[in-house]
Amino acid sequence: MTDDTAIHDLGYRRYEGAREGPRGAWIAIFSQGVRTMFGLGRTAKAKAAPVFVIVITFLQVIGALFAASVTQGNVPVRYGVVMQGSLLLYVLFIAAQAPEVMSRDQQHRILPLVLTRASSRQSYASARLASVIFSLFLLVFSCLMLLYLGEIGLAVDPAKRFGEVGNHIFPVIGLATLISLAFGGIGAGIAAWSPRRAFATASIIALFLLLAAVSNGLADLAGVASRPAEMLSPVEATRTLTMLLFDETNRGFETNPPMGVWWYVALLLGFAAVGALLLQLRLRRLDT
Amino acid sequence: MAHRIRWPRHFPPQGPDIPILETEGLSKRYGTVVALDNLTVQFDTGITGLVGANGAGKSTLVKLLLGLIDATEGSARVMGNDIVSDRAAIRSLVGYMPEHDCLLPDVSAAEFVTWLARVSGLPAAAARERAAEVLRHVGLFEERYRPMGGYSTGMAQRVKLAQALVHDPRLLILDEPTNGLDPAGRDEMLALIQRTGRDFGMSVIVSSHLLGELERICDAIVVLDEGRLLRADQLGAMTGVTMTLMVEVDGDPAPIATALVNAGYIVSRDRANVLVQLPDGSDETSMRATCDAIRDAAVNLDVGLLRLERRRGHLEDLFRTRA
Repeated sequence: MTDDTAIHDLGYRRYEGAREGPRGAWIAIFSQGVRTMFGLGRTAKAKAAPVFVIVITFLQVIGALFAASVTQGNVPVRYGVVMQGSLLLYVLFIAAQAPEVMSRDQQHRILPLVLTRASSRQSYASARLASVIFSLFLLVFSCLMLLYLGEIGLAVDPAKRFGEVGNHIFPVIGLATLISLAFGGIGAGIAAWSPRRAFATASIIALFLLLAAVSNGLADLAGVASRPAEMLSPVEATRTLTMLLFDETNRGFETNPPMGVWWYVALLLGFAAVGALLLQLRLRRLDT
Repeated sequence: MAHRIRWPRHFPPQGPDIPILETEGLSKRYGTVVALDNLTVQFDTGITGLVGANGAGKSTLVKLLLGLIDATEGSARVMGNDIVSDRAAIRSLVGYMPEHDCLLPDVSAAEFVTWLARVSGLPAAAARERAAEVLRHVGLFEERYRPMGGYSTGMAQRVKLAQALVHDPRLLILDEPTNGLDPAGRDEMLALIQRTGRDFGMSVIVSSHLLGELERICDAIVVLDEGRLLRADQLGAMTGVTMTLMVEVDGDPAPIATALVNAGYIVSRDRANVLVQLPDGSDETSMRATCDAIRDAAVNLDVGLLRLERRRGHLEDLFRTRA
């Protein structure tokens, strides 16, 4: 009589299936990076920073929409005002999470495992950089998109409102792209230079604070015109760019007109390029 | 110098005639420090031990083979693939288990090994299946769903071996695989490596400085010393019978050693044993004459002869001779 419940050890089986090569490796590194940026599949502690940033950012957006709603449009949705607060939260998000993606592999010495597979150093660097930038894009774009939809949906006459501000969709996409490229790029570039997560976080925050301080210092103390001075600070420059893109203005704009939009676009792309360069330099020199 | 990496559509041709590894004048220098000096060697299929003291050049050789660093001079081929122009092919053929810790503490073994399978280019579903399979092969069952930060050293070493196996390589390179393990853990890991080399159809290169362990599992040994090749041979050739007789006596071995020296033999001491060199090679007459001389010396000195045997070689002898 045969024993039907016997478990047979099939032994080692060779893998004869498909291999996706570097493309599959890139997607694996990228998608794991995005999951790490939002703390997905990690402990509750790892989720704390992204959840905090997401909640506070969306509360700001909801607050702005609520104000516009109860005043029936008398208090308009002002992207520049919302972004002024949100930009600091984006810096916090990058400072807290980019090191999780960039430093952790160095800290735990994972790179020799990754770089002896279907991924080259350049491919690894681009996948990690893309994951940081894409995660920030998701956050910024969803906030701006919510503002955009709210601005139209909460109006007394949504169809009429869409006719007035429907083309805001282009600045929404453009601004989200520029912010994620600049902030994500520079954050990832700095984070890659330290295997210590806390040090990397502090370095990113310090850089943004330092640039803001130098920018304000030049304008207030050294007498440099405020518009050229603000080009040193990505936060200040992005706020001005937001107002320009959404045709908003304030008293400062009247007394001190901003520079052309393309100056700010070039500045943010420059920050992104510096970040990518820092990352490439680091990974080229990294000892495996 | 940057080299363009091309990913192979299929595994390159391989067979018993192609050595798993061959190097030709391979050198690596860091400034004035020579890590590997003009190494010319060939590894055949099976389990090969890469032996050497710290700084002998083992890790440098492994990194060169994996394309993690560039050679200063010379060339090398892994299963017929050049280490410079065919890096992608080599990476698909080789599984690497590093010496150092390389596990993420807050991630489970299942997730970690699956991810590395995907980084090796396996599709998502196949990666999950392969990860579960290799983790079972290395002896991790339900534990594989726990974060690796809570793993013992033995379990961590098993995960490191599993990640090296997950993409089904043809060659495994294991760097100090028994590091930090207790005696029972060492035995289990060695048995696992032996099983991998014998039953899984893979060739294995084990880099280690623990000679006794390599003697237990390897078919061939390559010995490096200060970046140079000291010896490369089948294990049997290094651990076979030697031209030395080992004599163990009851009591002080000094008098019998002196007596044999006076009789014209070349004698040395190995702890409490006396080692006598056979004078004219290993022929039967020489052997018998030497045994008779030892017996007579023991009778004359009235010491008990406990053991008299042809000594077998050990890997330690290579380094002892060098010293």
